[in-house]
Amino acid sequence: MTAALAPAVARGWRRRRNPSLVVGAVLVALVVLTALVSFVWTPHDPTFVEASVRLRGPGSGYWLGTDKFGHDVVSQLMVGARTTLFVGVVAVSVAAVLGVPLGLLAGMAPRWTGELVMRLLDLLLAFPALLLAIMLGAAFGASTLTAMVAIGIATVPSFARITRSGTLQVMSTDYALAARAAGRRPSAVAVRHALPNVASLVIVQASVSFAIAILSEAALSFLGFGTPPPTPSWGRMLQESQELLFVAPRLALFPGIAIALAVLGFNLLGDGLRDRFDPRLEDQR
Amino acid sequence: MTRLRRTLGVVAGTVLALTVVACDAGSKAGSDGSGGGASKSGEDALSVGLVAVPASLDFTTVDGAAIPQALLNNVYDGLVKLDQNGEIQPDLAKSWQVSDDRKTYTFDLVDNATFSNGEKFTADDAVFSINRVMSDWTISLKAAMDVVQEAKALSPSQLQVTLKEPSNDWLYRMTTRIGAMFSKTGVDNLATKPVGTGAYTLAKFNRGDSIALARNDDYWGKKPFFASVTLKYFKDATALNNALITGTIDVIGTVQAPESLAQLTKDDRFQVIEGVTNGEVVLSFNDSKAPFTDKRVRQAVRYAIDHKALVDTCWAGRGTLIGSMVPPTDPWYEDLTGVYPHDPEKAKALLAQAGQSSPTLRLRLPSLPYAQSCGQVVKSQLAQAGINAKIDTLEFPAQWLQTVFTNHDYDMSIVAHVEPHDMAAVFGNPKYYTQYDNPRVQKLFAAADTGTEQEQADDLKQAARTLSEDAAADWLFLLPNLVVAEKGITGLPKNAIAESFDLTRLARS
Repeated sequence: MTAALAPAVARGWRRRRNPSLVVGAVLVALVVLTALVSFVWTPHDPTFVEASVRLRGPGSGYWLGTDKFGHDVVSQLMVGARTTLFVGVVAVSVAAVLGVPLGLLAGMAPRWTGELVMRLLDLLLAFPALLLAIMLGAAFGASTLTAMVAIGIATVPSFARITRSGTLQVMSTDYALAARAAGRRPSAVAVRHALPNVASLVIVQASVSFAIAILSEAALSFLGFGTPPPTPSWGRMLQESQELLFVAPRLALFPGIAIALAVLGFNLLGDGLRDRFDPRLEDQR
Repeated sequence: MTRLRRTLGVVAGTVLALTVVACDAGSKAGSDGSGGGASKSGEDALSVGLVAVPASLDFTTVDGAAIPQALLNNVYDGLVKLDQNGEIQPDLAKSWQVSDDRKTYTFDLVDNATFSNGEKFTADDAVFSINRVMSDWTISLKAAMDVVQEAKALSPSQLQVTLKEPSNDWLYRMTTRIGAMFSKTGVDNLATKPVGTGAYTLAKFNRGDSIALARNDDYWGKKPFFASVTLKYFKDATALNNALITGTIDVIGTVQAPESLAQLTKDDRFQVIEGVTNGEVVLSFNDSKAPFTDKRVRQAVRYAIDHKALVDTCWAGRGTLIGSMVPPTDPWYEDLTGVYPHDPEKAKALLAQAGQSSPTLRLRLPSLPYAQSCGQVVKSQLAQAGINAKIDTLEFPAQWLQTVFTNHDYDMSIVAHVEPHDMAAVFGNPKYYTQYDNPRVQKLFAAADTGTEQEQADDLKQAARTLSEDAAADWLFLLPNLVVAEKGITGLPKNAIAESFDLTRLARS
């Protein structure tokens, strides 16, 4: 192998074997699969309270043991994956549905409108997501819905920002200029030219936001502002294990690992997708 | 790859933080807790960990159990006090006589008590204190003094109180905070400078953190063992446990997370004392709203609950089963736990008779540990009788008080009623959130207060039985009083049935 060829080979390796993408995709697939399987099968009824089997250690009947209610931990984790993904999907959708049009508007509208939108979003960005969620929870009652909406709203600015920067780039290209010169309406330019070009950025952002949403939901459930009992949720499993931390530490360990793997999966997936899509990283490949 | 590593690092860090947040909270609160500078030291100093933080030291205008818990019987004395069996005992009043019409009480007062500001305690101070409840106090509990017609000093050591009508409740309420004796010249700064005749005086109040008390060397009664006692407040139950394990405190006033007791019981440095409280954990029904207007539905819910399994599951088996609104320390207690034995089949049959074979009922829970935990067990047990309980959580106190307590927008809820002698308050008033309207029970409550002591006991016993049989609510269990302390500390209160945490009889052997 000559020195001149080496960068090209390395680039090819990165292109074909993107470790972040592969590991991320596998972890995410695992979580999705677990959630899907839980719809048709769990080892035990995840919400059935059975005093006689409470606080069992891991064993043949209960692979990861039971919690203080006699809930099977495996079944709880499986159904918890469902809750986690549901919250992630809805929160990210809320954020994307609100954030992307706002970003397009800010990128294409006259300068002062764009600035106004962005400064308003900066205000929202400066407001901590968890605090917003706790406020909504206190006002409308703690539920999965308030958690999802709060996390979604708090993530709107990041979608708007990334869309706007992509849109600004597109708007300065010759083809966008040509389209506008040909009398295309701004909405048509946005849909036909800007949107397809920012789509990859949005997908990357969605993956990263998904990870943040999972963590936020866990934190909210831990604080009692998320999914109410008895619906299993990884965050609440952690919360309920708190007083048993010294008696049965495994009860904190398993949901902790589940959250770690899911968040890691979505973060790696986001990183991998960025390596694939982001034009600014093209030179490095 | 650096990005991969960084991501890994961030994720691992965040999750670790979430997972061990309990430990973290523990160590932090522990170190904060010692902020008063009076960490435990020496044989005659004691440090007690408690949970409810007093917002002020003035219980005449600020509600909350934390203030009398710290100050009553310790800094302030009353004329009478409650013992561990729920009986009224002499305190500043050596003895008392009740007139035949049971409207006039004559108290003989001790003659050697002085306030911590140096003034001597006389009958005039007692008259002043009783009148001041009616004129200056603002908390709702002051209403118990409304029955007083007149208080007058017959001599410096003799007090006469005349009631408008006979009331068994009045003398009992005199054991609570409204019976505290104040000095005429010592009420200017109650929020920060309490002046009482108690065995301890206030040394330092660090708001939100600790109260330091010092032994009153001029105390009129038996002097307490400990020269200084520090009450330390912890927001978090795990932090409180950790403080005991690490030696920051000597006593946990009451354990809030019974599951964690396992960790403390196996440590042979500690002793665990289990007693009872006045806190009935009630599964309340909205009695004036369908389907709970139908007695058979209420009965079905009571039959559906397996109380033993419930308390084993959600409160680590700690707690006493009660079948009605009376703790075993009240004189009119009767074991009513057998009135509705666990029988899901009977529950189903009753529901079918009522035409409600699978009702959906809202179980609106306050965001409190026992309610959250036991709510899940209740839901699961009701499901086996075909009742679908839909749980939602309301933030406590604000949201729960508004929705359930004030607007009565609920079918079932779970809340602990911790006030002493609260049966009449909860089930005697049709406007109360339980909306229980039973004229027979109301008549019994009224008769109980004005009748003789024997009549009172008989009437209340009958009322409790009626409530239980009529299934006015379900009584899940009585909250336990769980005290954990270093071995060798004696005189710890077994039962938490009075408003105070009595420090005066504690000692170290």
